[in-house]
Amino acid sequence: MSVVTLGNVTKRYGERVALDDVSLEIPRGRFLAVMGPSGSGKSTLLHCAAGLDVPTSGSVVLGGVDIGELTETRRTVLRRKHVGFVFQSYNLLPALTVEQNLTLPLRLAGTGADRAWLRALVDRVGLGDRLRHRPAELSGGQQQRAAIVRALAARPDVVFADEPTGALDLRSAREVLDLLRELVDELGQTVVMVTHDPAAAARAHEVLVMADGRPVEVLPQPSPEALATRLTSLGSRLTPVGGS
Amino acid sequence: MIRTALAMAGLGGLVVVFCTVLGGTALVTGTGVLAESGLRSHVAADRLAGADVVVTAPQTVHQDEDLSVALPERAVLPAALVSELASLPGVTSATGDLTFPVAVTDPAVVPLAGHGWSSVTLPGAASITGVPPTRPGEVALSADALPGARLGGDVQLMAGGHPGRYRVTALVGKPGAAHVPPSRQRDPGSLRPDAYFSDATAATLAGRDAGPRKGTVDLVALRGGGRPEALAQEVRRHLGDRYEVATGAGKGDAEVPGAAASRALLLVISGSLAGITLLVVGFVIAGALSLSITRQRRDLALLRAAGATPRQVRGLVAAQGVAGALLALAPGAALGYLLAGRFGDLLTGLGALPARLELTWSPLPAVAAVLLMLAVVRVSAWACSLRASRMPAVAAVSEAQSEPRTPSPVRARAGVLLIVATVPLSSVPLFVRSDAGAAGTALTGVLAVIGLGLSGPWLVQRGAGLLAGRLPDRLPAPAWLAVANAHGHALRTAGAVAALGMVVTLTLGYTLTQTTVMAAAANDLAEGTRADLTLTAPALGGLPRGLLAQVRAAPGVAAATATATTTVLSPYREDGRTKIDSSPALVLGPDAEGLVDLGVTKGGLSGLTGATIAVADRSAVVGEERPLILGDGTRVRARVVATYARGLGFGSVVLSRDLAAGHTTTSLDDAVLVRLAGAEPLAAAWPGVEVSKGPAGGGVGRVPPEVWVNLALLAVLLGYVLVTVANRLVASTAGRGAELAALRRVGATPGQLRAMLRGEALLVAVAAVGGGVLLSAVPLGLLGLGFLGRPWPAGPGWLLPATALAVGVIAWLAHELPGRRLLRMT
Repeated sequence: MSVVTLGNVTKRYGERVALDDVSLEIPRGRFLAVMGPSGSGKSTLLHCAAGLDVPTSGSVVLGGVDIGELTETRRTVLRRKHVGFVFQSYNLLPALTVEQNLTLPLRLAGTGADRAWLRALVDRVGLGDRLRHRPAELSGGQQQRAAIVRALAARPDVVFADEPTGALDLRSAREVLDLLRELVDELGQTVVMVTHDPAAAARAHEVLVMADGRPVEVLPQPSPEALATRLTSLGSRLTPVGGS
Repeated sequence: MIRTALAMAGLGGLVVVFCTVLGGTALVTGTGVLAESGLRSHVAADRLAGADVVVTAPQTVHQDEDLSVALPERAVLPAALVSELASLPGVTSATGDLTFPVAVTDPAVVPLAGHGWSSVTLPGAASITGVPPTRPGEVALSADALPGARLGGDVQLMAGGHPGRYRVTALVGKPGAAHVPPSRQRDPGSLRPDAYFSDATAATLAGRDAGPRKGTVDLVALRGGGRPEALAQEVRRHLGDRYEVATGAGKGDAEVPGAAASRALLLVISGSLAGITLLVVGFVIAGALSLSITRQRRDLALLRAAGATPRQVRGLVAAQGVAGALLALAPGAALGYLLAGRFGDLLTGLGALPARLELTWSPLPAVAAVLLMLAVVRVSAWACSLRASRMPAVAAVSEAQSEPRTPSPVRARAGVLLIVATVPLSSVPLFVRSDAGAAGTALTGVLAVIGLGLSGPWLVQRGAGLLAGRLPDRLPAPAWLAVANAHGHALRTAGAVAALGMVVTLTLGYTLTQTTVMAAAANDLAEGTRADLTLTAPALGGLPRGLLAQVRAAPGVAAATATATTTVLSPYREDGRTKIDSSPALVLGPDAEGLVDLGVTKGGLSGLTGATIAVADRSAVVGEERPLILGDGTRVRARVVATYARGLGFGSVVLSRDLAAGHTTTSLDDAVLVRLAGAEPLAAAWPGVEVSKGPAGGGVGRVPPEVWVNLALLAVLLGYVLVTVANRLVASTAGRGAELAALRRVGATPGQLRAMLRGEALLVAVAAVGGGVLLSAVPLGLLGLGFLGRPWPAGPGWLLPATALAVGVIAWLAHELPGRRLLRMT
């Protein structure tokens, strides 16, 4: 059963077509990586699937509801309930402490925090002693782990991660990827991650390769080397594949 | 470099700087025009236009290292000087001129100015029909004096306080004589139609044939064939420095010394305005620049990382400030001249400034304002960019990213110190119960707010932290976020709080100081006046001489006394220098006892005969002798016969009638205070004499025009502060796009963010009103204690709610409008 269903989604920014008639089902309990050259539409896909953006045409069904029909406020409420999001730039609010940042989505939703669940998450990512600090006092890896806890705080159906390791050093990046993989394997969480790092994508169950606003193929558990080769061939092509 | 600077500043930052500098330049230029006019303006010479050189007694008193004090009462010179000067080489004619109040009393009261016939040609060539007045009962009138006047007819005049019938022997046509509207007739410098008597009669009527002013004239007007300046040199060589010798524009001051003296008011006003204006303008400009620079801290840090030296960064910031300021300087200066003109009109309308006194228009105030503004901008820019420019490049970048900065403890301590330091300053009214004592009250409030601006970030962080700790757990997310933001962005919040707090203290401090002093003076007057009626005769130029006796003899009058107001100067030594204090003084006789209750603490008013005074000075000893300078410059020693408490209502000095006699311009009384016997009304009436109930007369206790001027200035200043504060708050909110976008992504709905911004606006408004009220409460409480005997000020009750409402609305709009725009964009 799928968590998010995209049906014939097209997204245009003026003349530019970012997503071109994409239909996709994101299966529950899987770690899906999305790869592709710059401008292939992978981030747009993520934003549309997460309800952060609305498609120009087509449907996005999230939690059983087509988000295209909703007002901005209703869409936000739906997103709060069903989706967790991890950004490349963490998006932690500098004025709030780590703990306040973690509970912020729950406060915004008006639901009380599940203290035990949060505690377990915090301990698991090793931030138990940093809760009273401000984000600026944390390392990049710690900030991204805090952002992952925040994304999980409301027990969402799916976590979207947009280049979560893009701003991190190798060690921190590996820790974050380990964490994401564990969430899927141990907690049955669904994770969709956009990345351009083959090594990161190789940690996923499947890799969706995109080019020119369309999914090109799905590679199950590819090796980093195979991915790198595939991407290089895509990036060097001058004419679009499968495009109209 | 400039291009980079402007690109980085962005339109918002430049607009904020532009607006603040525009208003600042206007305010400083306006103040400058008033100050320059106080120093250099002249009353237009009208009646002496035909004279080449005018000789008067000195109308100023010198003080060391300060401006001379102008004397408001005419200082006279001996009539013998006329013939002495007439014999000087180059002098073709010398005229001893006199001016005394005259009024037509029948059928209507028309104020005139009386002179001797020899003065008839002083205004210039006159067209005379008829023959000169030669006998005591004859008069020549300006053609515009009385519409019905005809040669050979009779007029009823009050001349020099003496009523009488006069035969009109001549009508004098004066080219360009202007009609004086009735509203200006009380104005001492206003032009009135002239009445000419024979020289001997004029001397009698003006009180120059006997008494203390026997054998004197007001001034000597000279005419000669050559250049006036050459003649003036000759006269000066002859007279030495005993007398003033005026030509050209200076003749106007010789014509009406009272009007000339009133320009000192301009100095007083601009002096009291200058301090507060500079404080407020400096505060506002520094705030605007700091906001503009805080917004680009990251960019500045990146510039440092890209290889800019600290000096270049400071230069860039200064270039931004100066660029924003340069655009504003010219329109600001123009606005300033406009503002000064409006103020001049206001002062004239209030009767505080003679209409004939024209403001001095020169580029000087604008130049001074421009230089001052540029200096303030440079210094503020330098101070604001110091932090970003001084630290190592890497630290600058990382600090710029860790947005909420911890407030500097040094800054917080300096602010708290400043606030604490204002407390002793604001206790002055406890010891000095006078206008001067109250002068500092409003200023201390403003100083305290600047202290709040310094210590604000720290205080806000603490306050919001405390609040955050006590919030109920189930608080709606927007409210919780608002508190968390106030806590996390303490610098930003404190800037808004201090700016709006300034509005509150300015309004409360200034308005309530004025109303409290007025209430205290009114209390003094109400409690101190035992008279039922006050008789005044402004249209007659003073009360008729026999009036007091007539009033006393009138049926129904139990007691009556005459009063006058003048100015008295008190010389004192300060650090070995001679200084002069000028204060209004009431003239009373021993018969005032029972009609005026000054709240005598020592001695008694019955001793007010001869060279005696009463003073509102607690430290004075009855029997001691004090040196005084009377309004016409005469130096006397006067014995203190009483001390009294109601100095605010009655002035700080009371002169005995004997002492003041002959030393005022008109030598007439200003008011007669009457106590009635029982309920019987005053039956008699005199033409031109106004009867009012209660303590209307006297002049000392009425609402001084400075109060209105101060309130008008406050309005202008407040308008400036409000516009700049709103501007700054809007810019501050508009700079929060990234923050709001981040919140939206985390799951905040637009409605929640609007509610959050409203919550922040509420917090800012409450803190500003609370802080402002708290900081003005101490000085105003002390003022109330000193002046009214209770620890709160007097004033309109709606002032505080209205101010709070205004602050709330501004805070709300400044958050709501830019917030809505940002939310539409994300």
